[in-house]
Amino acid sequence: MAGIYNSSFDFLGKAMDSTVLRHKVISQNIANVDTPGYKRREVLFEDFLASAMGNPEKLPLKITDSKHISNIPTELNQVDPKVVQIEDTSITNDGNNVDVDRENAIMSENGIRYLTLTRLMEINVSNYNTVLRGFK
Amino acid sequence: MSLDFFKSMNISASGLTAQRARIDVIASNIANAESTRSPEGGPYRRKTVVFSEMLENIMNPSQAGLENLSGVRIDSIEGDQRPFRMEYDPSHADADEEGYVKYPNVYVLREMVDLIDAQRAYEANVSAMNITKSFADAALRIGRS
Repeated sequence: MAGIYNSSFDFLGKAMDSTVLRHKVISQNIANVDTPGYKRREVLFEDFLASAMGNPEKLPLKITDSKHISNIPTELNQVDPKVVQIEDTSITNDGNNVDVDRENAIMSENGIRYLTLTRLMEINVSNYNTVLRGFK
Repeated sequence: MSLDFFKSMNISASGLTAQRARIDVIASNIANAESTRSPEGGPYRRKTVVFSEMLENIMNPSQAGLENLSGVRIDSIEGDQRPFRMEYDPSHADADEEGYVKYPNVYVLREMVDLIDAQRAYEANVSAMNITKSFADAALRIGRS
Protein backbone atom coordinates (compact mmCIF):
# COMPACT_ATOMS: atom_id res chain seq x y z
CA MET A 1 0.00 0.00 0.00
CA ALA A 2 2.74 2.40 0.95
CA GLY A 3 4.40 1.56 -2.34
CA ILE A 4 1.35 2.55 -4.35
CA TYR A 5 0.99 5.76 -2.40
CA ASN A 6 4.60 6.80 -2.91
CA SER A 7 4.92 5.97 -6.56
CA SER A 8 1.59 7.34 -7.77
CA PHE A 9 0.77 10.40 -5.73
CA ASP A 10 4.25 11.81 -5.19
CA PHE A 11 5.34 10.99 -8.64
CA LEU A 12 2.28 12.26 -10.49
CA GLY A 13 2.34 15.37 -8.31
CA LYS A 14 5.93 16.00 -9.26
CA ALA A 15 5.19 15.52 -12.94
CA MET A 16 2.20 17.91 -12.65
CA ASP A 17 4.36 20.50 -10.89
CA SER A 18 6.95 20.35 -13.63
CA THR A 19 4.23 20.70 -16.29
CA VAL A 20 2.79 23.77 -14.55
CA LEU A 21 6.30 25.22 -14.29
CA ARG A 22 6.81 24.62 -18.01
CA HIS A 23 3.53 26.36 -18.76
CA LYS A 24 4.67 29.33 -16.69
CA VAL A 25 7.98 29.45 -18.55
CA ILE A 26 6.22 29.30 -21.94
CA SER A 27 3.87 32.11 -20.80
CA GLN A 28 6.96 34.12 -19.94
CA ASN A 29 8.47 33.42 -23.37
CA ILE A 30 5.27 34.50 -25.12
CA ALA A 31 4.92 37.63 -22.96
CA ASN A 32 8.49 38.59 -23.91
CA VAL A 33 8.17 37.99 -27.63
CA ASP A 34 9.05 41.64 -28.35
CA THR A 35 11.60 42.22 -25.59
CA PRO A 36 14.99 43.11 -27.08
CA GLY A 37 17.69 40.62 -26.13
CA TYR A 38 15.33 38.21 -24.40
CA LYS A 39 16.39 34.58 -24.66
CA ARG A 40 13.80 31.82 -24.42
CA ARG A 41 13.72 29.40 -21.50
CA GLU A 42 12.99 25.73 -21.37
CA VAL A 43 12.14 23.33 -18.59
CA LEU A 44 14.12 20.10 -18.44
CA PHE A 45 12.42 17.32 -16.59
CA GLU A 46 11.60 14.26 -18.71
CA ASP A 47 15.24 13.54 -19.51
CA PHE A 48 16.15 13.63 -15.82
CA LEU A 49 13.24 11.34 -15.13
CA ALA A 50 14.33 8.91 -17.83
CA SER A 51 17.80 8.85 -16.24
CA ALA A 52 16.36 8.17 -12.81
CA MET A 53 14.21 5.38 -14.23
CA GLY A 54 17.27 3.66 -15.64
CA ASN A 55 17.52 4.96 -19.21
CA PRO A 56 20.36 7.44 -18.85
CA GLU A 57 20.93 9.78 -21.76
CA LYS A 58 24.41 10.50 -20.46
CA LEU A 59 26.92 8.05 -19.08
CA PRO A 60 26.54 7.54 -15.34
CA LEU A 61 29.60 7.98 -13.14
CA LYS A 62 30.77 4.73 -11.66
CA ILE A 63 30.03 4.54 -7.95
CA THR A 64 32.30 2.19 -6.03
CA ASP A 65 32.02 3.81 -2.61
CA SER A 66 29.08 5.13 -0.61
CA LYS A 67 30.75 8.59 -0.49
CA HIS A 68 30.87 8.95 -4.25
CA ILE A 69 28.54 11.44 -5.85
CA SER A 70 26.24 10.35 -8.65
CA ASN A 71 25.86 12.59 -11.72
CA ILE A 72 22.33 11.33 -12.37
CA PRO A 73 19.47 11.22 -9.89
CA THR A 74 19.15 7.72 -8.53
CA GLU A 75 15.74 8.04 -6.91
CA LEU A 76 12.56 9.33 -8.43
CA ASN A 77 11.90 11.84 -5.66
CA GLN A 78 15.30 13.46 -6.29
CA VAL A 79 14.25 14.44 -9.79
CA ASP A 80 13.52 18.16 -9.98
CA PRO A 81 12.65 20.23 -13.03
CA LYS A 82 15.27 22.74 -14.10
CA VAL A 83 14.82 25.97 -16.04
CA VAL A 84 17.51 26.64 -18.62
CA GLN A 85 18.07 29.57 -20.94
CA ILE A 86 18.69 28.89 -24.65
CA GLU A 87 21.39 31.45 -25.51
CA ASP A 88 22.79 30.30 -28.82
CA THR A 89 20.04 31.23 -31.28
CA SER A 90 18.47 34.45 -32.51
CA ILE A 91 15.54 34.89 -34.85
CA THR A 92 15.19 38.67 -34.95
CA ASN A 93 17.65 41.54 -35.23
CA ASP A 94 17.18 42.56 -31.61
CA GLY A 95 18.64 39.28 -30.32
CA ASN A 96 15.32 37.80 -29.29
CA ASN A 97 14.88 34.10 -30.03
CA VAL A 98 11.21 33.51 -29.20
CA ASP A 99 9.21 31.93 -32.03
CA VAL A 100 5.54 32.31 -31.06
CA ASP A 101 4.37 29.44 -33.27
CA ARG A 102 6.86 27.08 -31.73
CA GLU A 103 5.95 28.21 -28.21
CA ASN A 104 2.29 27.62 -29.06
CA ALA A 105 3.03 24.09 -30.24
CA ILE A 106 5.01 23.30 -27.09
CA MET A 107 2.26 24.87 -24.99
CA SER A 108 -0.42 22.64 -26.57
CA GLU A 109 1.70 19.54 -26.10
CA ASN A 110 2.34 20.49 -22.51
CA GLY A 111 -1.39 21.09 -21.97
CA ILE A 112 -2.24 17.60 -23.19
CA ARG A 113 0.44 16.21 -20.90
CA TYR A 114 -1.08 18.04 -17.95
CA LEU A 115 -4.61 16.84 -18.74
CA THR A 116 -3.31 13.28 -18.98
CA LEU A 117 -1.60 13.58 -15.63
CA THR A 118 -4.69 15.00 -13.92
CA ARG A 119 -6.75 12.18 -15.45
CA LEU A 120 -4.31 9.63 -14.02
CA MET A 121 -4.55 11.38 -10.67
CA GLU A 122 -8.35 11.18 -10.82
CA ILE A 123 -8.18 7.45 -11.53
CA ASN A 124 -5.78 7.08 -8.62
CA VAL A 125 -8.14 8.86 -6.26
CA SER A 126 -11.15 6.86 -7.47
CA ASN A 127 -9.18 3.65 -6.86
CA TYR A 128 -8.76 4.74 -3.26
CA ASN A 129 -12.46 5.52 -3.05
CA THR A 130 -13.25 2.03 -4.30
CA VAL A 131 -11.09 0.51 -1.59
CA LEU A 132 -12.40 2.76 1.18
CA ARG A 133 -16.08 2.39 0.35
CA GLY A 134 -15.96 -1.27 -0.44
CA PHE A 135 -16.90 -2.76 -3.76
CA LYS A 136 -20.62 -2.46 -4.39
CA MET B 1 3.29 25.45 -6.26
CA SER B 2 -0.42 25.98 -6.71
CA LEU B 3 0.35 29.70 -6.84
CA ASP B 4 2.01 28.97 -10.16
CA PHE B 5 -1.40 29.07 -11.82
CA PHE B 6 -1.85 32.66 -10.71
CA LYS B 7 1.72 33.48 -11.64
CA SER B 8 1.14 32.15 -15.15
CA MET B 9 -2.00 34.28 -15.33
CA ASN B 10 -0.10 37.35 -14.16
CA ILE B 11 2.63 36.71 -16.71
CA SER B 12 0.09 36.45 -19.55
CA ALA B 13 -1.72 39.52 -18.20
CA SER B 14 1.52 41.52 -18.26
CA GLY B 15 1.97 40.41 -21.89
CA LEU B 16 -1.55 41.61 -22.69
CA THR B 17 -0.90 44.97 -21.03
CA ALA B 18 2.37 45.36 -22.91
CA GLN B 19 0.87 44.53 -26.30
CA ARG B 20 -2.11 46.79 -25.65
CA ALA B 21 0.26 49.67 -24.84
CA ARG B 22 2.03 48.93 -28.11
CA ILE B 23 -1.28 49.01 -29.99
CA ASP B 24 -2.10 52.36 -28.29
CA VAL B 25 1.23 53.79 -29.46
CA ILE B 26 0.67 52.51 -33.01
CA ALA B 27 -2.82 54.07 -32.99
CA SER B 28 -1.27 57.35 -31.86
CA ASN B 29 1.31 57.15 -34.65
CA ILE B 30 -1.35 56.55 -37.30
CA ALA B 31 -3.63 59.26 -35.89
CA ASN B 32 -0.75 61.75 -35.97
CA ALA B 33 0.66 60.75 -39.35
CA GLU B 34 -0.05 64.26 -40.66
CA SER B 35 0.41 66.35 -37.49
CA THR B 36 2.87 69.12 -38.23
CA ARG B 37 2.74 70.55 -34.71
CA SER B 38 3.45 68.84 -31.38
CA PRO B 39 3.92 69.91 -27.72
CA GLU B 40 7.71 69.44 -27.96
CA GLY B 41 7.80 71.70 -31.05
CA GLY B 42 8.12 70.65 -34.68
CA PRO B 43 6.12 67.85 -36.24
CA TYR B 44 4.96 64.74 -34.38
CA ARG B 45 7.77 62.25 -33.90
CA ARG B 46 6.99 58.53 -34.34
CA LYS B 47 6.91 56.70 -30.99
CA THR B 48 8.07 53.16 -30.29
CA VAL B 49 7.62 51.03 -27.18
CA VAL B 50 10.60 49.26 -25.63
CA PHE B 51 9.83 46.23 -23.47
CA SER B 52 11.99 44.62 -20.84
CA GLU B 53 11.72 41.34 -19.00
CA MET B 54 10.41 41.44 -15.45
CA LEU B 55 11.72 39.11 -12.75
CA GLU B 56 10.66 38.81 -9.15
CA ASN B 57 13.03 40.01 -6.44
CA ILE B 58 14.07 42.84 -8.67
CA MET B 59 15.18 44.69 -5.52
CA ASN B 60 17.79 42.02 -5.11
CA PRO B 61 18.89 40.95 -8.59
CA SER B 62 21.32 38.34 -7.23
CA GLN B 63 18.34 36.31 -6.04
CA ALA B 64 16.35 36.70 -9.22
CA GLY B 65 16.87 33.32 -10.82
CA LEU B 66 15.42 31.81 -13.93
CA GLU B 67 12.48 30.46 -11.94
CA ASN B 68 11.29 33.82 -10.60
CA LEU B 69 9.55 34.78 -13.79
CA SER B 70 6.96 37.51 -13.72
CA GLY B 71 6.35 38.60 -17.29
CA VAL B 72 7.18 41.72 -19.22
CA ARG B 73 7.03 45.44 -18.54
CA ILE B 74 7.14 48.59 -20.61
CA ASP B 75 10.63 49.97 -20.22
CA SER B 76 10.12 53.21 -22.08
CA ILE B 77 8.32 54.91 -24.94
CA GLU B 78 10.90 56.49 -27.19
CA GLY B 79 10.86 58.81 -30.16
CA ASP B 80 12.04 57.51 -33.52
CA GLN B 81 15.14 59.56 -34.43
CA ARG B 82 14.86 59.11 -38.19
CA PRO B 83 14.50 62.34 -40.21
CA PHE B 84 11.11 63.91 -40.86
CA ARG B 85 9.35 63.59 -44.20
CA MET B 86 9.82 66.77 -46.33
CA GLU B 87 7.06 67.73 -48.72
CA TYR B 88 6.81 70.76 -50.99
CA ASP B 89 3.59 72.65 -50.21
CA PRO B 90 4.05 76.48 -50.05
CA SER B 91 0.35 76.95 -49.20
CA HIS B 92 0.74 75.10 -45.88
CA ALA B 93 0.80 77.24 -42.72
CA ASP B 94 3.93 75.42 -41.45
CA ALA B 95 5.92 75.70 -44.69
CA ASP B 96 9.47 77.11 -44.35
CA GLU B 97 10.88 79.94 -46.53
CA GLU B 98 11.54 77.54 -49.40
CA GLY B 99 8.01 76.13 -49.26
CA TYR B 100 8.83 72.78 -47.66
CA VAL B 101 6.71 71.29 -44.84
CA LYS B 102 8.15 68.86 -42.30
CA TYR B 103 5.72 65.98 -41.84
CA PRO B 104 6.04 63.29 -39.12
CA ASN B 105 8.40 60.35 -39.75
CA VAL B 106 5.40 58.01 -39.65
CA TYR B 107 4.78 55.55 -42.50
CA VAL B 108 1.26 54.21 -42.19
CA LEU B 109 2.00 50.94 -44.02
CA ARG B 110 4.79 50.16 -41.58
CA GLU B 111 2.47 50.94 -38.67
CA MET B 112 -0.14 48.53 -40.04
CA VAL B 113 2.45 45.75 -40.19
CA ASP B 114 3.43 46.50 -36.58
CA LEU B 115 -0.24 46.48 -35.66
CA ILE B 116 -0.72 42.96 -37.04
CA ASP B 117 2.40 41.84 -35.18
CA ALA B 118 1.05 43.28 -31.92
CA GLN B 119 -2.35 41.69 -32.52
CA ARG B 120 -0.81 38.24 -33.05
CA ALA B 121 1.29 38.60 -29.91
CA TYR B 122 -1.82 39.67 -28.00
CA GLU B 123 -3.69 36.58 -29.23
CA ALA B 124 -0.80 34.33 -28.24
CA ASN B 125 -0.99 35.70 -24.70
CA VAL B 126 -4.76 35.13 -24.66
CA SER B 127 -4.36 31.50 -25.67
CA ALA B 128 -1.69 31.01 -22.99
CA MET B 129 -4.12 32.39 -20.45
CA ASN B 130 -6.94 30.12 -21.66
CA ILE B 131 -4.70 27.09 -21.24
CA THR B 132 -3.85 28.24 -17.69
CA LYS B 133 -7.58 28.28 -16.96
CA SER B 134 -8.05 24.78 -18.36
CA PHE B 135 -5.17 23.63 -16.12
CA ALA B 136 -6.86 25.03 -13.05
CA ASP B 137 -10.15 23.41 -14.07
CA ALA B 138 -8.49 20.03 -14.55
CA ALA B 139 -6.71 20.27 -11.20
CA LEU B 140 -9.96 21.10 -9.42
CA ARG B 141 -11.68 18.06 -10.94
CA ILE B 142 -9.28 15.69 -9.14
CA GLY B 143 -11.08 13.81 -6.39
CA ARG B 144 -14.49 15.18 -7.23
CA SER B 145 -15.96 12.04 -8.78
